[in-house]
Amino acid sequence: MQIKKIIILVLSFFFINTFVFANFEAEEKFVSNFADNAISILGNENLDINQKNLQFTDLVMSSIDMNLISKFVLSKYWNAASQEQRDVYVKAFEEYFISSYANKLDQYSGEKIVIVSSDAAKKFVIVKSNIVRDGADTLKIELDWRLLTRDGRTKIIDLSIEGISLIVAQREEFQSYLSNNNGNLDALINKLRSINNKN
Amino acid sequence: MKSKSVLVILILSTLISACTSGVKEPPRYIPVKEEIIMKDVISDPIEPINRAIFSFNNVFDKAVVRPVSILYRGILPEFFRNRIAYSLDNLSMPITTINNILQFEFGKAGISSARFVINSTIGILGFFDPASYFGLKADYEDFGQTLAVWGVPTGPYLVLPFLGPSSPRDFTGLMSTSLLDPTYQVGNAANRDLFRAYRMGVGVINFRSENIEIFDDLQNNSVDYYAAVRSFYNQSRNSQISDNLEVSPSINQDSLFNDFEEFELDDTYIGPDVSISYPE
Repeated sequence: MQIKKIIILVLSFFFINTFVFANFEAEEKFVSNFADNAISILGNENLDINQKNLQFTDLVMSSIDMNLISKFVLSKYWNAASQEQRDVYVKAFEEYFISSYANKLDQYSGEKIVIVSSDAAKKFVIVKSNIVRDGADTLKIELDWRLLTRDGRTKIIDLSIEGISLIVAQREEFQSYLSNNNGNLDALINKLRSINNKN
Repeated sequence: MKSKSVLVILILSTLISACTSGVKEPPRYIPVKEEIIMKDVISDPIEPINRAIFSFNNVFDKAVVRPVSILYRGILPEFFRNRIAYSLDNLSMPITTINNILQFEFGKAGISSARFVINSTIGILGFFDPASYFGLKADYEDFGQTLAVWGVPTGPYLVLPFLGPSSPRDFTGLMSTSLLDPTYQVGNAANRDLFRAYRMGVGVINFRSENIEIFDDLQNNSVDYYAAVRSFYNQSRNSQISDNLEVSPSINQDSLFNDFEEFELDDTYIGPDVSISYPE
């Protein structure tokens, strides 16, 4: 049973006491718009995987705060990096990020996003939602969106799947890799590139 | 019998540490919540040993578990695999009920025990899940979570041979389960072990067969696979325990996001070339 706990999509269903308050209507609207757009791309049978990839990447890149995310996952190593390293890293990380979903976009099978609630978390707004799939094999996955609004624009900072934050996991991975490689950012950049080339 | 007394001592010692760690309030108002739930930095003092065991587990997985899981998924039609998955879930309900009670969650104990009764009877030995149909949703509790509710801190990260990611708290919980779980006592002495081995073995293969692609993907695309699994495990456990303690896991992660302050507010971190831009 123990081994069951290590997985991304732990399908143990929680009892979360959520109250249905539309505290942050604009943010909830933002998430549902994003989800609608994503589903209309992923569910479009006239698009091949490459077209889906391009359109989906456009949507994602215009909706997430890639600059903040890139820096956050490097954390203290960002401060120590040279300007040149930062430029190269930002590009390699973006490619790595895109390649992480690139060949999975054709696996969409009718799941929908249902907004549950929204709440303030310091400067962020967290919109809670469920991924649901109807039918004989019912599915419900908790998906939390961490949003940041600046200058009137809302951006996605993080996704949390069943309580597992992707950006936190990514940061721990990068921090661990760097601390095991004497903080050598070039080593991380090369590692990212080698993974990008594989995909 | 001897190994049982070792276990009893282990459980007692965790109980005592629970008592000495300052938990006097009822479980809902745990004063040491911050210690129980995720810290910014995962404690992993024996990382080199953990990494060695992790590598061993991966070799074992590649050689045995993954191939058997692929075979299992390939040979057995989905219908039968689902029946097995449901029956394994059903067998885990009594231990969930016990943990519900130990966590003073009597309403949930009612749900999990009703699930077990309904699915074991109408659900034909648990092969089907009519309970969910009646609105009794599955929830799983283990003794590691109960220890957390009692205020036991998780302790350092631990990778167990064959069993994978754990912590002293979860490992104690895991071992206690073999004592507490009534469905581990099914059968007489001779076939009890056989039944346990079957459950354990099929449980692992069933779980692994559902996640072949996810693990392959994680392994191939990770910069540091060990650190990725460690993070997923810790976050997943913390999320379950946040749930037990009735706090929101996302909101709980806020301290982890403090770094944003410095990146946002201090303009020196943002070079002209990486200025924050918002493409339309």
